[in-house]
Amino acid sequence: MTLVQRLHNIPAVNQSPALRAFVTAAWLGWQIESNWARPFLFAVYVIARPISSVLILVIMYSVITNGATGEPIFAFIYFGNALYILVNSVVTGVSWAVIEDREHYRVAKQIYTAPMNTYAYLLGRGVARLIIGSVSVLITLTFGVLAFRIPLDINVLLFLAATIFGLASLSALGVILGAVTMQTARLQTDLGSLVSGGLYLFTGAIFPLDVLPSWLQPVGYLFPVTYWLEVTRRALLGAHAARFPTFAAFSDWGLIGVLALMTALLWLASGWVYSAALRRSKEEGLIDIETNF
Amino acid sequence: MSNPLAIETQDVRRIYKIRGPKTKGEPTTRVALDGVDLQVKRGELFGLLGPNGAGKTTLIKILATLLLPSSGTARVDGFDVVRDTEEVKRRISMVSGGETSGYGLLTVEESLWMFARFYGLENKVAKDRIAAMAQIMGLEERMRAKISDLSTGLRQKMNFIRGFVTDPNVVFLDEPTLGLDVQAARDVRGFVRQWMDDHPDRTLLLTTHYMAEADEMCDRLAIIDSGKLLVCDTPANLKRSLQTEAVFNLKVAPLGAKPKDGDLLEAVPGVSRVNVADVNGHTELALTLRAEDALPEVLAYLTRRGSSLIALEKREPTLEDVFIKVTGRRLDQAADAEKAAE
Amino acid sequence: MAALEKDIIRSQERVKKLHGFALFWAVVWARAYPRIIGALRQKSWLFFETVFPLMGVIGYIYVYRSVNAPQEYIGFVVLGGAMTAFWLNVLWSMASQLYWDKEDGNLEIYVLCPAPMMAILIGMAIGGMLMSATRAAVIIIVCSLAFGVVYNVGSIPLLIAVFLLTMTALYGMGMMFASVFLASGREAWHLANLMQEPIYLVSGFYFPVKALGALVATAASIVPLTLGMDGMRQLLFPSEQATGLMPVELEVVLLILLGVLFIGGAYFALRKLEQIGRREGRLIERRR
Repeated sequence: MTLVQRLHNIPAVNQSPALRAFVTAAWLGWQIESNWARPFLFAVYVIARPISSVLILVIMYSVITNGATGEPIFAFIYFGNALYILVNSVVTGVSWAVIEDREHYRVAKQIYTAPMNTYAYLLGRGVARLIIGSVSVLITLTFGVLAFRIPLDINVLLFLAATIFGLASLSALGVILGAVTMQTARLQTDLGSLVSGGLYLFTGAIFPLDVLPSWLQPVGYLFPVTYWLEVTRRALLGAHAARFPTFAAFSDWGLIGVLALMTALLWLASGWVYSAALRRSKEEGLIDIETNF
Repeated sequence: MSNPLAIETQDVRRIYKIRGPKTKGEPTTRVALDGVDLQVKRGELFGLLGPNGAGKTTLIKILATLLLPSSGTARVDGFDVVRDTEEVKRRISMVSGGETSGYGLLTVEESLWMFARFYGLENKVAKDRIAAMAQIMGLEERMRAKISDLSTGLRQKMNFIRGFVTDPNVVFLDEPTLGLDVQAARDVRGFVRQWMDDHPDRTLLLTTHYMAEADEMCDRLAIIDSGKLLVCDTPANLKRSLQTEAVFNLKVAPLGAKPKDGDLLEAVPGVSRVNVADVNGHTELALTLRAEDALPEVLAYLTRRGSSLIALEKREPTLEDVFIKVTGRRLDQAADAEKAAE
Repeated sequence: MAALEKDIIRSQERVKKLHGFALFWAVVWARAYPRIIGALRQKSWLFFETVFPLMGVIGYIYVYRSVNAPQEYIGFVVLGGAMTAFWLNVLWSMASQLYWDKEDGNLEIYVLCPAPMMAILIGMAIGGMLMSATRAAVIIIVCSLAFGVVYNVGSIPLLIAVFLLTMTALYGMGMMFASVFLASGREAWHLANLMQEPIYLVSGFYFPVKALGALVATAASIVPLTLGMDGMRQLLFPSEQATGLMPVELEVVLLILLGVLFIGGAYFALRKLEQIGRREGRLIERRR
């Protein structure tokens, strides 16, 4: 019996509506996504996509620098991009679940009338992709370390703290985008992918924030992802992590503090945005809208 | 127009592969149609009556070019559905119950226009005919609504407009009133009947599992069960075939445990057929007797079984009785059996 | 007036219907219509589908800035970033669209009606292309102005020819994929996913494809965007012609061949799809 099954078998009476919704949604998401464990799909999602996206940057970098992969900026770009896979996975997982439930499985009505916490449900639906994304990150990082000899210097405690707050903030962001998705038509690509692609620009994932014009840099400070990427790089690369002026003044745990605070704020915001979106969906009759064109 | 037959099938069989994991010995195929011979004349409103899973939709799909028969031949409006697909497509249309086709962001008017263009209607002709059909179906007020905002009934009316606006020679209606309320179903049936009256050279094949609908609408009908056409005639003739017999509905106190074969109600002299159903704490018997004077024997039998008569009604035979005669089951029991088999 | 309107339906006079090319053309525009009107009606896409991708492209521009790349490379990214709009459109709104149409019950009607399936797909392509062209134009205009990209176009007609040939071959590919994806059921998602980032990589969306080595770049040329972008970059930035994979004239010839290959392939794939659908009784009907 898998862990998810075991969790799912906890008697319902012992579960709060939120926990029940979360566990059931995680189980459902896993059932939908778990075929990724097949070799072909594993190759697609866990290897081909992430490695390709990181190789694009490696080649862009190498074309200009003649392959100077030993520079700190290379490790900065590589690790930032590898970690960013998780942003895409989590954020996309939730917003895609909204579309999938509404327009593919057409179960939106049943979900929003069930006596459960639908906020927790949405969070749960993101879990499967989070797990898949985590495996991708691991493989991409390992590839980088082996292929480009990126030196590791891991601070486990710092890494764990960064991961906990990072994932929490990503999940909250996912729910916010899920809430927005509830209001919109099915776009060509899902909102999660679009936003995570756009945030590439501001979060210092693939270039130091200092490269941005000074008037744009503050936008990056508004996103917890920025702090999460910075502190995780430090936790994994140690002294090898490139320190650019932007965050040089912050200590590692200072960054964790900022990340924790911002995560808390984002959670509050996600709860508010979600209830507002749900209310508006009910007012406008958008819960089970069909938007194909 | 020389061919008087609008639909003609010869020995049509259709076998589906059963997908998914199977235990050892489980069948790998399912026979959906088992040698269907059907002839529908031009101008007829022909009904296919049968429980869910009987093969009605499979037959319609074959006739509408959506599915190939495993063997046998089928012609629609004089053209072979396998060889002359394009010719058949130009002459037919199909509307199914519970259909959700269309693009949610389009209005009713736009969606209908798009489909009319797919059938080759000229722009203005399409718009005029859509407006006229909307009026007939009582949908003109909602033409600018998005299709995702329509109720089930209105959505089905929209589907009907889509089906008829293209001026088809042969229309296939697959359970067209499924899920509709009484009024919407009545509107739809009224429209179909009127259309057939206005266009005596067109043909309509209707599948349904509603007895009353088949009885009310069809010029002729066939009963289909387990992929086989069992009988085919006008509703009146089918019912008349039972009129040498007497049909009673009996409501009795519960009969209790089933006795041995020799002691069954069917064994009572004069009893032709009986169907037993337990409903709300009593038992209902649909009884067909070879002659009315067999009734006292039946009542005596019930007394011997410890039951008693609650109500008795003599009635005219219905298509339900015809169905019981040819299949040995009631329509709802047949549906349950099909469901259990799936 | 009301009675007169109803008489159109009650009349026994047969309705004249379009055939052949007239039907084909009518179907193309009938299918393009929902795409265009749907986009206009759902304005949020304009924001989501242009602003965020624009930000992503700018992100890549800053990667080059952070390593002090020559200005032409910024131009390479702008062009590649703009072309992602078409690639995503082909993957997610062409290749996967028949799958969604199946889900909505439209595919059954497409197969049932006398409209040529190719016309339906071309309509879908034209409708989708307009949305993508908007996104691409926004990326090119904003990035070119903001980052001072200078284009030195030698031959405008050749540039237009390369672009149009690329689009024809690319959307032909999309049409072919539509059937292939449908035949593979829900796996369609995975195929589309497989082709997103990996094609960004091997087709050289953000760098000259020659950097991948002649072998990989030539193999990647099966995707029309590889040759199309390489050709357009050579024409837009003559100073970086050395980064080109092969002469533009040769690329034009290859793009024509790809166009014929994919459109022909689409035609046969659709016929095959209809055959399989009718034989097996699935593919075209909604199941979940």
